[in-house]
Amino acid sequence: MTPRTARLKQNILDKHHHDFRRDVELTFTPEELAVSTLDEWESIVLEKKCRAEKPVILTEENILFTRSVGHFKYDCLPAVLSGKRFGMFPANICADWERALSKGLLGLRDEAEASMTRYCRDATAQNFLCSAIRSIDAVLELASRYAEAAEAAGRSDLAIIIRHVPGKSPRSLHEALQSLKFMHSCLFLFSNHVGLGRFDQYILPYYRHDIEHNIFTETEAEELIQEFFISLNKDTDLYPGVQPGDNGQSLVLGGVDRSGKPVVNELTMLCMRASREVNMIDPKINLRIDKNTPHELLREAVKLTRRGLGFPQYCNDDVVIPALVKHGYSLEDARDYTVAACWEFIIPGRGMDVPNINGLAFPAAVDQAIRAKIGRGCFEELERAVATNIRTQVEDYIRLQKTDDFCPQPFYSVLMTSCLERGKDINHGGCDYYNYGIHGCGSANAADALAAVKQLVYDEKSVTPGELLDALWKNWEGHEDLRKHIMGSHLKVGNHSKLADEMLVKLFGWFADACESVGDNGRGGIIRPGTGTAMFYIYLADPNWTGSEPTVGATADGRKVGDFFASSLAPSPGAEVAGIIGVLQSFSQIDYSRICNGGPITVELSDTVFRNEEDLDKVAALISTFANIGCQQLQMNVLDTAVLEEARKHPELYRNLIVRVWGWSGYFVELAPKYQQHIINRNTYRL
Amino acid sequence: METGVTFDLQEFSLHDGPGIRLTVFMKGCPLRCNWCHNPEGFEPETQILRCNGRERSIGRKWTSQELIAHIALQADILRNSGGGVTFSGGEVLSQADFVLETIRGLDGLHVAIETSGYGSTSNFRALTKAVDLVFFDLKLADAEAHKRYTGADNSLIRANLEYLKSQRKAFIARIALIPGITDTDDNLNALAGWLYGDSGLQRVELLSCNPAAGGKYASLGMEFRPEYDEYKAPNCNMQPFNDLNITTVIM
Ligand code: SF4
Repeated sequence: MTPRTARLKQNILDKHHHDFRRDVELTFTPEELAVSTLDEWESIVLEKKCRAEKPVILTEENILFTRSVGHFKYDCLPAVLSGKRFGMFPANICADWERALSKGLLGLRDEAEASMTRYCRDATAQNFLCSAIRSIDAVLELASRYAEAAEAAGRSDLAIIIRHVPGKSPRSLHEALQSLKFMHSCLFLFSNHVGLGRFDQYILPYYRHDIEHNIFTETEAEELIQEFFISLNKDTDLYPGVQPGDNGQSLVLGGVDRSGKPVVNELTMLCMRASREVNMIDPKINLRIDKNTPHELLREAVKLTRRGLGFPQYCNDDVVIPALVKHGYSLEDARDYTVAACWEFIIPGRGMDVPNINGLAFPAAVDQAIRAKIGRGCFEELERAVATNIRTQVEDYIRLQKTDDFCPQPFYSVLMTSCLERGKDINHGGCDYYNYGIHGCGSANAADALAAVKQLVYDEKSVTPGELLDALWKNWEGHEDLRKHIMGSHLKVGNHSKLADEMLVKLFGWFADACESVGDNGRGGIIRPGTGTAMFYIYLADPNWTGSEPTVGATADGRKVGDFFASSLAPSPGAEVAGIIGVLQSFSQIDYSRICNGGPITVELSDTVFRNEEDLDKVAALISTFANIGCQQLQMNVLDTAVLEEARKHPELYRNLIVRVWGWSGYFVELAPKYQQHIINRNTYRL
Repeated sequence: METGVTFDLQEFSLHDGPGIRLTVFMKGCPLRCNWCHNPEGFEPETQILRCNGRERSIGRKWTSQELIAHIALQADILRNSGGGVTFSGGEVLSQADFVLETIRGLDGLHVAIETSGYGSTSNFRALTKAVDLVFFDLKLADAEAHKRYTGADNSLIRANLEYLKSQRKAFIARIALIPGITDTDDNLNALAGWLYGDSGLQRVELLSCNPAAGGKYASLGMEFRPEYDEYKAPNCNMQPFNDLNITTVIM
């Protein structure tokens, strides 16, 4: 980094920008509260929020936008909101940044105007388009105040830029990044988990323009991109998430274009370098790869992996694209996929999927079946009970979800591909995809439990059903030997165990069956089963968890009450594992053409892995292997357990230690203790 | 059919040869190096390791057929990456027949061994002939010192090394740098002399030791009695090798 960007980073870490913050109470007139549509209401709220923001010009910053309002308070709600239950606000999706940048908000405003004429007889469309225009104007009004403030602060260089964007099409890389920063930050005024999409694609024309016209050298351009990355770490404490860091600012690099042509470019490399240099938790980098990804690119990616930030996360195009097609996405759209927040595949500008409505609790589905069926009939009967339980969970989640209303979002709609043209809100027909996703949690533990039961109780008959049930009810008390036997056995996912792998594959098969049998999700979409866990690896282990997902006590894989599950796809914590190859091989067997909501195989490498340059090549070869054997997604974390232990004891000394939590990275010392413990306990492969 | 005992199989081992590798650790070693960090590799039979209230049985008995079948599960991955299998230990020469029979069943997969060179001449010759790459762990050139710190005489090792050189077999020499014992200028000079001359030597790897080396002794009911300062930084002197134009890296 340059001294300037290093200072910008330090300022954020020191939270200097918090000095400009205050809380604001929004007030509404009776007429405003009496609006007849939610579109209008949402545009009014955005307008008020934008007006409440005061431009902040921080010394040395070249990309502007700092939140001056910590929290917006308002308790009066309009009449149209009464009786509505909004489960999900648009989040975990991705705008059509390419279009938003190139048209500019004024260009988009023109489109809205044109649509108003076209849909002059359609009141719903009129109402939506009016609200969209009002939202655009609100954002532009804030931008114009930023221009004045920049001028007043003696930064007429920046004033010129922010007078031009986000209204008009950027004329340079600097303007493109400023425009993106501005619109992206405004989305966070009402939404969360705002994806950044295929950054190395939509920024490329501006980058090349500047290089070709000698406006910037590569180094200068890189500095600016570093600054953009650094700026994404500002104000993230205001973005809602389960833990600090869980904010969905993911960007995707590499892959193919809509026609299938590989599009790795100089910016792909530059972004990975910049992320490595910046060394902060945002943005989260995802890299699309396939069988033919050049070794050099993987090597560059591994250098970023070595940083220990937990990214890039690798997505295998060879698996993801065909699966999306099979799930009803057009081939062009499938090729254009991005990662929404943690890992969910989503189409920028076109997908209004809700990829995380719930987490399927595999352990509960298996455990309930074991407790109800063991010893009664054959193993296949028990299996059928598991399948039924899985199906019941899926149906319950969909039933619950169907009671939710979806609030219109005029400004997000503006930034999507077709909403303005169609005169329809993002949530009401403006997008092409309205699918739901359900995470698939605790799969390894559940598979191990089934494998143990099949082998010990049904095949060998070395354990009686009564004995196993007693052990489960008593949390293994008095059955320590049995527990040890099960934990130490080779019948585990990640351990080249045919039986455990077969159970894993079956579980996901039943999950897919259940989702497919539900068919329509009530919004004109389908249900995508996934392999991620999000925070459910913690929640589902807690017998007192009050969410809609069923929890468990002790489980037949040898797990005791309260012990956490693995995060996304990883062997059961504490299980015997053959090693990384075994883990990849187990998880490569899942039929990802039916399981396509995302959720990475998660491996922890010890930081001692990287002793010399050759090691980079080897880890790159491992990533190739991951792609070659048909896995879907991979997250590689580099951990030094001793350092984590120290950090827990002396948080003040480790303020900047970053760890990967699930689909996001966070500062270790800011995590709740149970999340810290889970990270320390993860299976680390010392190689 | 031969049977053998291993104490660990490490997947994706990074420092045991080219490409993605599976390292098979053979159990049983005739030496007792004072600094050995794999004491579970000493005894040829299976054992119980007790640590933090947890018990784990160390050692797995295989027929060559079983081990071949196990390796076959990932052979494609190993082969596609230009990698293969490395037999390490313990001492691989002590189970030479088993390892040889296993190698024969691996369909030409790249195979390396890591050995101290302390084993019968016939075993050494047969095994090194059957593999693609040899890691030769050298310890001490001085016969007296070798006896004192490893419990055995080094003349057999020297003879096996000479044989390996004469065969032009591809090999990498490894020297664990133990402060005040193996890392002395005298020892490094002398070992450089051993390695000098025409041979298939690819490079020398100087390994700085890991201070947690003694970690596993107690759990095996043994005592770790290092005759050196574990926390002292070793003397990473590449000069003796550089002087003789031998490529050397520190790891
Ligand atoms: S030769 Fe290797 S395994 Fe045997 S005692 Fe010495 S260091 Fe340990």
